[in-house]
Amino acid sequence: MRTKSLLCIVAALALCLLVSSGSATQARAAEPYNLGVALAITGTGALYCQDGVDAIKLAVEEINAKGGFLGKHPIKLFVRDTHTKPDAAVRATRDLILRDKVRTVLGTYSSATAVAIKPVCQEYKVLHIPAISNSEGITLTNFSPYTYQVVPNSYMQAKAVVLGVAALAKKKGWKTFVTIASDYEWGRSTQQNTVALLKQMAPNLKLVKEFWPPLGETQFTSYITAIMAQKPDFVIGSIASKDNVAWMKQAKAYGFFKKIPYPGSLISVTELILQAKTLDRGLVGLCRAPFFAHLDIPMMANFVAAFKKKYNRYPSDWAVMEYDAVYVLKQGIEKAKSIDTEKVKAALKGATVATSRGNLYFRNIDNQLSCSSYLGVVADDPKYPFPIYHDLVEVKGPDSWRPEKEILAARAAEKKK
Amino acid sequence: MDLSLLLSQAMSGLSRGMMLFLIASGLSLIFGVMNILNFAHATLWLVGAYACYTFWFLLQAHGFAIWVAIPLAALCVALVGWIIEVVLIRRVYARELPEQLLLTYALVLILGDLIKITWGVEDKLIARPAMLADPVIIAGVPIDSYFIFVIAVGFAVYFALWWFLQKTRYGHIVRAAVFSREMVSALGIPIPIIYTGVFVMGIFIAGLAGAIQGPVGSVTLGMDMAIVIQAFCVVIIGGFGSLPGTLVSSIIVGEVYAFAILFWPGGALALIFILTAIVLIVRPWGLFGTPMRA
Repeated sequence: MRTKSLLCIVAALALCLLVSSGSATQARAAEPYNLGVALAITGTGALYCQDGVDAIKLAVEEINAKGGFLGKHPIKLFVRDTHTKPDAAVRATRDLILRDKVRTVLGTYSSATAVAIKPVCQEYKVLHIPAISNSEGITLTNFSPYTYQVVPNSYMQAKAVVLGVAALAKKKGWKTFVTIASDYEWGRSTQQNTVALLKQMAPNLKLVKEFWPPLGETQFTSYITAIMAQKPDFVIGSIASKDNVAWMKQAKAYGFFKKIPYPGSLISVTELILQAKTLDRGLVGLCRAPFFAHLDIPMMANFVAAFKKKYNRYPSDWAVMEYDAVYVLKQGIEKAKSIDTEKVKAALKGATVATSRGNLYFRNIDNQLSCSSYLGVVADDPKYPFPIYHDLVEVKGPDSWRPEKEILAARAAEKKK
Repeated sequence: MDLSLLLSQAMSGLSRGMMLFLIASGLSLIFGVMNILNFAHATLWLVGAYACYTFWFLLQAHGFAIWVAIPLAALCVALVGWIIEVVLIRRVYARELPEQLLLTYALVLILGDLIKITWGVEDKLIARPAMLADPVIIAGVPIDSYFIFVIAVGFAVYFALWWFLQKTRYGHIVRAAVFSREMVSALGIPIPIIYTGVFVMGIFIAGLAGAIQGPVGSVTLGMDMAIVIQAFCVVIIGGFGSLPGTLVSSIIVGEVYAFAILFWPGGALALIFILTAIVLIVRPWGLFGTPMRA
């Protein structure tokens, strides 16, 4: 009796072993790579994020057509909505990690949400690649080795604007200016960086007043009249997405841009396309990744063609950067020769990667990609049904990012707190 | 500080106030007559904006597109309001306020999802009518011509409502119903029909306001929640159920906001809520309401 039951146990154990080893070999043969996307499908950021999600889907299709990462790990995509809210983003990220078992989270829109999910990714040792939200706070302090930033951050963009504006101010004899920025993390940090840098580069410029419309403002008339009353030489704005659409539309109806120069505010390809008919030509705008700046790079040319074929429209900055994010991950995995997150993380450290914006590298100190910011004059172009930037100035990443010394100082100050 | 500056700020405040009035008047009317606190009011306003987009999109080849789209959108929303009243609201008249609030809040979520299903998540842009694209110069001050249109519609709606309530037989019945629905009912007037009529009228104004909001910025999900709180502030300050109260408090809220931006840009929104809190404490029935209702 005893031997019989012993035999039974041994047999059961053997069976268990067989089954588990069988499934293990199977898993090794074709383990899918679960890729998470935490973007704003609804809320303020939806306008930009839809393009980002479409570009990610395109990149995933292209890679999966060749068998997936390393030719053997097909990508399984999991998209969750952050509602453009930090708490919802944290929930979405946790769900991506714990339920969907993703190894990388691409996201997010709205820097407040990126800052919120960064520690979550770090806690679960999951890679985090923000490609739309660009507050410098994402990489400056509370540094996470799991976060790799592939969008020019707010400091870099502000510095690019300042380089352009300081030159213009000198040329035109400007003395006073006013700022208007959305009252949240990104708006605040962008405005602060711009003002600090302007003071450095053009010390005689005077900031007359700051305006802080709440995020989600639909009616800017009172701000517009108040700014016009100040009669500044120029205005610096940091307003994004649908708020920016409302602001531009209403300011234009007041003849604002004809009266007061408004250089270097964010006019991404999304705005160029959406406001094709109404955007004032001659505006000096700033953007993060305009496809038309790099059509000489085969990767960009192919991407634009494929995106146009699949979605019947041109890709925005957001599409370009999310597309790059997937390919950055791909190159990290190839360099690591493994999908193991720790190995990929190590492989990306300081790595040079091929992107649709050219060959760029991650800076060691903050994992910031050396990507450029772009300034130009809005002008019609016979090649496109919408205006693009002419006299495009490309301010390279290494010319615009914060000096390492200052980063170390900020982190030392953070530790003291 | 020169006069033209004050004038331009006052005008922008007035336009902001009028937009709020268009939303709040329906809210106040429905509460005043039916005692229903319709949380979904601003969501129906948003439906109006989306409906306006659809009609405008279909007709955009013609110059008159927006002028047809706005009334059509308002009528569509009124139809949705009628369905909501007959199917849902009618059943909760006798219930407690929290139950009504829960029902209308559920409507916010349901309508929000229906909007997402019908129109998708992308923002919708409605081009401004060409004749209102350029600013008008009044006393040397440029003023957005579209907002002059908004202000005109606001006053038109106010006078139409006032005329209806004061000068017509049905208006008298509605006003009587505010005070004593039993008495009105005893006189042989069918209260349910009056209620349906008032609800549909309030929702029609919300739809009209939404349609007019369309060309102001972009039409997006979540816009309703940003505005509903301010609309409630207006109704609280003016007094629930008081039409002149709603008009006056809309203008107060708009002007306070506009001038706060000029002098204290950081505290504009806070000031509105402080004002609301003061009214709630000192005069809970609002500036023009009657204590009986409070």
